[in-house]
Amino acid sequence: MSATVELDRVSADFGSFRAVDKVSVTIGAGEFFSFLGPSGCGKTTILRMVSGFIAPSEGHIRIGGEDMDGIRPNKRPTVLIFQNLALFPLMPVWENVSFSLEMRGVDKAARRARAEELLKIVDLPGAGNKMISQLSGGQKQRVAIARALAVEPKVMLLDEPLSALDLKLRQHMRAELRAIQKRTNVTFIYITHDQGEALAMSDRVAVMSQGRLQQVAKPEDIYNNPSNGFVASFVGENNVFDGRIIASQTTTARFETDLGVFEAAFNTPPSSDQKLRLYVRPEYARLVSTAPEASNAIAVTISDISFEGNFINIHATTDQGRVLTVETRNDGSSDIPETGSRRYFTFDAQRARILADETQAAHS
Amino acid sequence: MISKTSRIILNVYVAAFLIYLLAPLIIMGGAAFNDSRFPSVYPWVGWTDRWFLDLFRDTRMWNAFKNTILVALAVVAISVPIGTAAAILVNSLQGRVRTVLYGMMVAPILTPGAVIGISTLLFWHHFSVPSGLHLSTLGQCSYISAFVMLLVLARLQSFDRGLEEAALDLGASYSQVLRRILLPHLYPAIGAGAAIAFFQSIENFNTTLFTRGPYDTLTVYVFSRVRSGITPTINALALIMIAVTLLAAISYEIYRRRHEKVLLARGRGNPDSD
Ligand SMILES: Nc1ncnc2c1ncn2[C@@H]1O[C@H](COP(=O)(O)OP(=O)(O)O)[C@@H](O)[C@H]1O
Ligand SMILES: [Mg+2]
Repeated sequence: MSATVELDRVSADFGSFRAVDKVSVTIGAGEFFSFLGPSGCGKTTILRMVSGFIAPSEGHIRIGGEDMDGIRPNKRPTVLIFQNLALFPLMPVWENVSFSLEMRGVDKAARRARAEELLKIVDLPGAGNKMISQLSGGQKQRVAIARALAVEPKVMLLDEPLSALDLKLRQHMRAELRAIQKRTNVTFIYITHDQGEALAMSDRVAVMSQGRLQQVAKPEDIYNNPSNGFVASFVGENNVFDGRIIASQTTTARFETDLGVFEAAFNTPPSSDQKLRLYVRPEYARLVSTAPEASNAIAVTISDISFEGNFINIHATTDQGRVLTVETRNDGSSDIPETGSRRYFTFDAQRARILADETQAAHS
Repeated sequence: MISKTSRIILNVYVAAFLIYLLAPLIIMGGAAFNDSRFPSVYPWVGWTDRWFLDLFRDTRMWNAFKNTILVALAVVAISVPIGTAAAILVNSLQGRVRTVLYGMMVAPILTPGAVIGISTLLFWHHFSVPSGLHLSTLGQCSYISAFVMLLVLARLQSFDRGLEEAALDLGASYSQVLRRILLPHLYPAIGAGAAIAFFQSIENFNTTLFTRGPYDTLTVYVFSRVRSGITPTINALALIMIAVTLLAAISYEIYRRRHEKVLLARGRGNPDSD
């Protein structure tokens, strides 16, 4: 079962410090929704408000349409998977898993049986009698998920649950979590500072900065159509150019920088005095040997080539000393220039974006 | 590396320290078996068990013994819950209130036992409560519960508040969190607190002396025997008390080691990796 979660201009203040600022978003029933943002941007605070450990200083949280104001954590249809998992070290695995049933007064035999079922769901059959200290990191993770599923929550809140795992296991658990979510159809609210995680698992992602929502969209839109400079640079890499617009059409504009004038996509009308920058992702940039007749070309010298396995990063230095990055796939289709050779750095106007630093806070 | 001379100095020091610590006990224990009217090992008159027999025949001693155990059990029963509750409360408070409450709880430890005894007596006298073992119990509890609190408070430092939140989030009420999560974490400290409370009560003299009324406890009994001319029965009593304490300590240690081994053996069941 699942429920919608609605944040209606929710803020959280710690003294005079505003950790979460007027966040409004509606998360659909059965959706896998992620909050993505750097450490300290207020993600945990949002989860703690949804689960009921702290009350919003303004705004409302509704779960399944019902206002959660004044309802305690143990009475909410949510369950939180803590950043450090918070498994009970003095109980064997099966008691951990069936803890919520014990609290509801379910008898021991039924609890034992249910724990075994849940352990099967998370792929840990027969681990019921182990102590928590005997488990590996990934196994602890699964026990925490099984313990949360036992509640039969409508909303599962996950606070960077994979951050303690090593890379291989993390990727494996991503797929696992996604599968569990699809299987149980519970609404998942997942928070992470890892863009790869958020993009790979989520139906929709909310990018946050300093307590404010920057963009809420599908993963591919977050990456391909970032709404501002913060989103563009937090999610993925960019070559960034400072400058100003000298002429604009409906969807593109001419942008003057100290490396020349470029043409790039531009759709958000800037609020009066916002600083604008041009963003070109390394995989959308190319290196060519003859200057293209259209604009968008910068003369460069290849300064470094770094081999990353499935792709190759080429660093190119402009005559002014700026280092630009071009990424090409390691599939043999593109020829890799020698270091020291002269090339032109170029990109399509439609693939480059002129963006304001941050979306201004929506007032009113 | 420790040089040779410093090792010799260290050994001599340890030996001297142990002799200083144990010699009086050995001499005292020896005197319990010496057939001399005075409690000494020199001159050695001959082996005897009469001081033990005298002791066992002494009904006043048995009565004092019974009273001591009763008071000690009552002190454990009262000071453990009070000390534990105070620790949980102090731990959940912050700032000034915490400092004040902590200070109030700990103050009786720093107060001389005689002062606690006299003030307990005077306080209850005000309400026309006669002195007796019940007042001894209350007087002792006033500082022994502070010991329990300190022990439990130390253990609380290692408690992860996240566990409490996790339990609440999983639907537990506050009393369920207390019973199922917090208290199990505190049991080792509560157990140690109970043991300390028990022994503190047994050895208490100052507070008891003023509050006991007409009743004897072991320490008071020893005191009055010493005043009325000391005989080696006191040595016999002391030897028995030392033996009992040692036995208790040794059996606890054996139990602890065995328990540790069991845990280790369980832990060795290798967590299969993912
Ligand atoms: N209980 C608190 N008291 C004061 N400040 C807090 C408290 N909890 C969080 N903060 C502050 O709020 C901000 C957001 O914290 P948090 O939600 O934990 O960030 P994130 O989970 O995104 O890393 C941080 O600057 C943090 O220092
Ligand atoms: Mg956090």
